[in-house]
Amino acid sequence: MAVTEERSASKVWRVGVRQVVYMALGAALYAGLTLPTNLLPVPSAGNVSLRPAIVIPLFFGVVFGPVVGFFAGAIGNTISDLISGYGIVWFWELGNGILGLIAGLAFYWTWGYYRSTRNIVIAEIFSAVGIVVGLGIAAYSDIWVYKLSVAGATSELVAAGGTDLVNGLILLPILLVVYNAAMRRVGRG
Amino acid sequence: MLINFPYISRDTPVHRLNPRTKVVLLLVFSLCIVQTSNFWVMLVGLLIAFFYYSQAHLKWSETQRTWKFILTFITIVTVVNYFLSDGAVVQGVDLSHQHVLYNLPFLGFRRQFPYIGPAPLIFSIESITFMLTQAMRFLSIALFAVPVSYTTPPDQFGVTFRSLGLPDKFSYAIDLSFRFLPTIMRDFSTTLDAQRARGFEIDKLRGGIFAKIARLAPMIVPVVIGSIVGAEDIISAMELRCFGVGKRTWITELHARPIDRVIITLSIAGFFAITLLNILGNYYGSGFLHVLHVQGIPGFLAP
Repeated sequence: MAVTEERSASKVWRVGVRQVVYMALGAALYAGLTLPTNLLPVPSAGNVSLRPAIVIPLFFGVVFGPVVGFFAGAIGNTISDLISGYGIVWFWELGNGILGLIAGLAFYWTWGYYRSTRNIVIAEIFSAVGIVVGLGIAAYSDIWVYKLSVAGATSELVAAGGTDLVNGLILLPILLVVYNAAMRRVGRG
Repeated sequence: MLINFPYISRDTPVHRLNPRTKVVLLLVFSLCIVQTSNFWVMLVGLLIAFFYYSQAHLKWSETQRTWKFILTFITIVTVVNYFLSDGAVVQGVDLSHQHVLYNLPFLGFRRQFPYIGPAPLIFSIESITFMLTQAMRFLSIALFAVPVSYTTPPDQFGVTFRSLGLPDKFSYAIDLSFRFLPTIMRDFSTTLDAQRARGFEIDKLRGGIFAKIARLAPMIVPVVIGSIVGAEDIISAMELRCFGVGKRTWITELHARPIDRVIITLSIAGFFAITLLNILGNYYGSGFLHVLHVQGIPGFLAP
């Protein structure tokens, strides 16, 4: 008997039990992996520091939808800041959430399946846009909040967005390919 | 690898505050302080923030790592911003009549190619005052933000956001995130040890920048995929217990005391007052109603 999978706009934005658990998991992974891997130095590349954890909200967004991506980014960054003792930095939490949300919009085209190169490329494009827009909102909000100049805010965006783009776009396809293999192994691929 | 939440259990006025009060205070104070660059208003805000922080009775030894990072960050951002904006960072002030103290030969941005050229970096009373108000703004927001982490138990964040209007599912997801965190850190530590036993050395990654990043995959991928596969059991358990059907109750109940209501009421009233003053300042060119739109340069700095 063939099983017809529902593909509708409501599925993209649905928040059921599965989405709640993945939201929590994504946030915990983002917070947990940010703490030990943040500021890993790469001396040969100048001031670039590795922040590989940025791939988490991107991955959870493209695989499980924009709501999961938003939550993983926003709450994960919030938890990371709380554990580090910095409190809540509203616009940077929001920016990280928007990063995951925009990446999750790829769900409209891929429905969470990344068995083809086309779908992986779509995920990469949405992730890149998400990083630029999300971190742009966070960085340029500092013009209003902290009265930085446009040049100062741009330098924040270049520093944060540049490293996140490099980290996220390299690790995302690796994670998607391994996820496909793991899901096939457990019979859900 | 353990996760150490910064929460310190203590009996202080800030610890006794409802977590909602602390979150609302942080949000409202942030929204008030961004509406002006007046030196005296900023100073009053900083004094209020210092008083609030002092009521948390946090010791320097407990928070020094956090404060060292914050103070370094504030210094770097304000100084770098000053240099990137050629010292002309004042908003809403007539820059043609600055009281220039010193001009430092420097570089600046240009509209035409090559877009960077020689330009004097101006040190004036107005721009130095603005830099001071910027630093005070950063510091005062940090003084409200840091106690949130150190005085609020992690298991109360979910119910806090629920009582602030966040839906049950999202609030429960916040609680579940805190629950997952120690498990993930344990898995991360185990994975790292296992990979090290196979010759993976995170501090000796070879290759260019792209190869280095790709070589981080053995550290991240097993933790992520293992957690997702393991989450199926949790999903099944929650579905069997009819999660999401009907209104959820919480094991922790937050009770607002009179002091919490007074603080929230006063802070929201203060926000409306500041906002009204800010709006009226656009219609009145001088006087008290225009105070938020002037720098209020201190007498000891004024020529």
